[in-house]
Amino acid sequence: MKLSPIFLFLALGAATLSAQTPETEAPKKKRAPAVAEAGSAPQQVVQNNSLVRVNATSQPYSLHLPWQKESPSSRRGLGVVLAGNRVLVTGQMVADATYVELELPEKGQKISAKVVAVDYEANLALLESAPSDKQKAFFAGLKPMAVDSSTRIDDKVDILQTGRVGELIKSELRISKVMTRRYNVEGSGFLVYEANNIVRSEANSFTLPVVKSGKLVGLLLSYDSKNQVTTILPAPIIEHFLKDVADGSYEGFPSLGMELQTTLDEQFRDFLGLKADAPGVLISLVMKGGSAEKAGMKKGDILVAINGFVIDSRGDYKDPQFGALSSSHLVRGRAYVGDKVEIQVIREGKEVTLKGELTRRKPDDFLVLPYLFDKGPRYVLMGGLLFQELSHPYLDAFGEEQRGGAILRLSRVASHPDKYEEEGRKKLVFLSLVLPTPSAQGYDKLGGQVVNKVNGKAIKDLNDLNDAFKSVKDTTHVIELNDFPHILYLDTTNAANDNKRLLGGAYRIGSLMRLE
Amino acid sequence: MNTRPLLSLFALALLPSALCAQPAPAPSPATQAIDVKSGAWEGIVNIDVSVLVPDYREPWNAGQPSGGSGTGFLIGKNRFLTNAHVVSNATRILIRTTNDPEPHPARIVHIAHDCDLALIEAEDSSHFEKLKPLDFGGIPQLNTEVIAIGYPIGGDRISVTRGVVSRIDFRPYSHTSVDSHLAIQVDAAINPGNSGGPVMQEGKVVGVAFQGFSGRVAQNVGYMIPVPVIKRFLKDIEDGRYDHYVDLAASDFPIENPAQAKALGTSSDGVGVMVGDVEPQGSVGDLLKIGDVILSIDDNPVMNNGLVRFEGELMDMNEIVERKFAGDTIKLKYMRDGKKLESTVTLKRFDPYVRLGAQYNQRPRYIVNAGLVFQPLDRNLMDAHQMRDDTVNYVFDNFLTDKLYVERPEPVVLTNVLPDEVNTWITPYAHSIVDEINGLKIKTLKDVETALAKKDKPFIEIILLEKNRPLVLKRELAEAAHKRIMETYNILEDSYLGDE
Repeated sequence: MKLSPIFLFLALGAATLSAQTPETEAPKKKRAPAVAEAGSAPQQVVQNNSLVRVNATSQPYSLHLPWQKESPSSRRGLGVVLAGNRVLVTGQMVADATYVELELPEKGQKISAKVVAVDYEANLALLESAPSDKQKAFFAGLKPMAVDSSTRIDDKVDILQTGRVGELIKSELRISKVMTRRYNVEGSGFLVYEANNIVRSEANSFTLPVVKSGKLVGLLLSYDSKNQVTTILPAPIIEHFLKDVADGSYEGFPSLGMELQTTLDEQFRDFLGLKADAPGVLISLVMKGGSAEKAGMKKGDILVAINGFVIDSRGDYKDPQFGALSSSHLVRGRAYVGDKVEIQVIREGKEVTLKGELTRRKPDDFLVLPYLFDKGPRYVLMGGLLFQELSHPYLDAFGEEQRGGAILRLSRVASHPDKYEEEGRKKLVFLSLVLPTPSAQGYDKLGGQVVNKVNGKAIKDLNDLNDAFKSVKDTTHVIELNDFPHILYLDTTNAANDNKRLLGGAYRIGSLMRLE
Repeated sequence: MNTRPLLSLFALALLPSALCAQPAPAPSPATQAIDVKSGAWEGIVNIDVSVLVPDYREPWNAGQPSGGSGTGFLIGKNRFLTNAHVVSNATRILIRTTNDPEPHPARIVHIAHDCDLALIEAEDSSHFEKLKPLDFGGIPQLNTEVIAIGYPIGGDRISVTRGVVSRIDFRPYSHTSVDSHLAIQVDAAINPGNSGGPVMQEGKVVGVAFQGFSGRVAQNVGYMIPVPVIKRFLKDIEDGRYDHYVDLAASDFPIENPAQAKALGTSSDGVGVMVGDVEPQGSVGDLLKIGDVILSIDDNPVMNNGLVRFEGELMDMNEIVERKFAGDTIKLKYMRDGKKLESTVTLKRFDPYVRLGAQYNQRPRYIVNAGLVFQPLDRNLMDAHQMRDDTVNYVFDNFLTDKLYVERPEPVVLTNVLPDEVNTWITPYAHSIVDEINGLKIKTLKDVETALAKKDKPFIEIILLEKNRPLVLKRELAEAAHKRIMETYNILEDSYLGDE
């Protein structure tokens, strides 16, 4: 699992930060939350009544023994109260959550909460407590915070944290850069603000709000204490998420599904037939089933504009708010699934306009699952042979030094799935482990072999595998593998008996499969 | 230049945490003092070697001078046997006997890296004419006493250590790291410098000391190359040429599973091992298929775990093939779909595996063009460049398992881009496998030369494996830059493609 808490190291210079100074502007604004409640008391205790502490317990499934769960761990964060008594946190905060609660920073009052919407790609989640008198009382003193997308480079913003008794601790930052970057899971980049300064550390936290003049401008993504660089998940992405949630069905962030190559190299430009100062980048890959492919984009096209924005030789466009920014934001951040898109390309020297509709490739549309939260990995156990579908989390769970042999082969499939997708596979089924049973005698050292056929049937996913085992007519299951030793045999009766023994046996297996 | 005593050390096995008490050894026969002056061991010589370790990072350079010392022994008229690793990459070899400190220049007659043996001769044989060659014995029995003689660290004069034969097994030979042959484990101390020296029993040579574990991994575990391997080497070179080992080039998978035994139709007597993989270019590539059952080799029944009883010992079935030579045949009985079949197979060397192991006595091959350095993919290259690129690692690791050698016998890597104005945009693409140049598929380094000689287009276009953009150089700019880059980076020759 790639989840890493945002770890704030205690910065030496923290004492010099004006963390306790209330914001002077805030009281002037009518709807701004009262930041300076404590007034001019000698020991200033400043609260913010739009923030609640969020405590979550996380318990992922075991990737290698998928019938069991790993040990639970707890996560903390500072959520932002939004309209409708909903609380915004990062997706990381609630990944694999078994229990989530909200806590009033000052009073310590607690109430349980549920995730109403989550997007692990955009790393955002929305929490809600079931309506009740307790819930009403809990939210009575809280005011929703507004989201402000107008932040620009050079703006000053504050990261908020709360102390032991709920006092507000601010660290001031200056936004220095706006760019696109991957958040926590595999996939293309999202908009990110980068800021510099020392951030004081109160506690490990999976969510910390970033505000300007009492309005939410983002959530902390990461803090590098060595270089004092902070990245912030910005308000435009938060607004996109909230708007998508508000219409009742959540679609997620669209993408074009293509890869581009810069054309800064003059010799390369000459080769492509691009004039010295002409815009455009080379399209080097168009993903199957993506928006770009559906719109008719082809590998080798020169992309020159998206929705009227000219794409330069770096692949950037001129954003009216942020300046030069990766063209991916034109689709990801500025458009929604179902929106129309117009793409200008140069193909064989001629300009062509492609029109299409934006879509999103769901995690399940990938041969190799890019991420997996809240659900257990799918598996089928047969007579001690454990079959799984390949996923990036499974591969990531192996350390660098274990990456030889089978893992290296499987990793390569994950980065080059095309050939396997062309074979019609929906998922890559592989033998992940062999439990020592009498029917699997002789096979115990195997693991990491891709399954091609079982009982003569081609295996496109685990459901196929399960059906193939069920429909056996002979007394032997025949399993054909892509790798050494290429073929395995299992006695059907003995395997069925071993299955019974495995249930509730030494390996504490509660179910022989998970196919939902 | 540093001189170090030679011994191949490896640390593969993990030591079990508890060391069991060994049964007391049989009472040793009365030991006999040896008078070194008697001349009985005069044929056991110290070999002092100066070496030049090739530089696979800057293949146009000479390499790193170094040195080492080992042991060798006289086995015939001016013929000294030693380990291949003692004399690998040698630029000068000197022989000294224990009673005569005079160094005698020597040269390699035959060298066999795959079994770590070499035959060397003195340039002037006159000095050694009166010496008595050592005789060979056979395979010693377990728990019988042996002595190792040589010039290990700890002094300059000849040294003797004593121990018993601990184990006889098929073992990896660490010199190439990809070859496995019969090896005999002894508990006589075998230390750096013993390499190439004789291990003797009752006055006869029963092995050549060659490798051991580092003291941090295991104690008193030394290995010697046994007589069958030595004899095979000596027989192979009788025709004046070393032809290497031959190989079945098929992988076996044990038949331990009852359902598997039933499906494959093997009988209950435990005979027959399943074929799990076959190399299409190997000796049995056209004969065996995955799922076949090998029943016997040269009428020696093969057990379900791939072992045969051979010369009284249980050995890997490959041991029978091991003793043969290129062009020899074996009789193979096997079963397919329940039918018993028999065939005679002509054995040959399986070349593709060679590049997966360390190679010696070779000048690195390369092509430099406009600052782009092309080198063939092999272990020497992987070790020198510390390749991190996924594609390069995949191709190297799965060269055999995924049969990549069939399409690309000698994958070529763009190992380096020597920065210059002409190539500054493509420097990040170093450490990539070259797929095509100027429309020509690159299967060997020679293809790079052929492809670069094609001058019909104004651009040099290089397509890399699994990188999504071509590398493009304007031909006229590249040609103008080439000479400049050669001078700047002090490269005398822009290619070395081998002797042919």
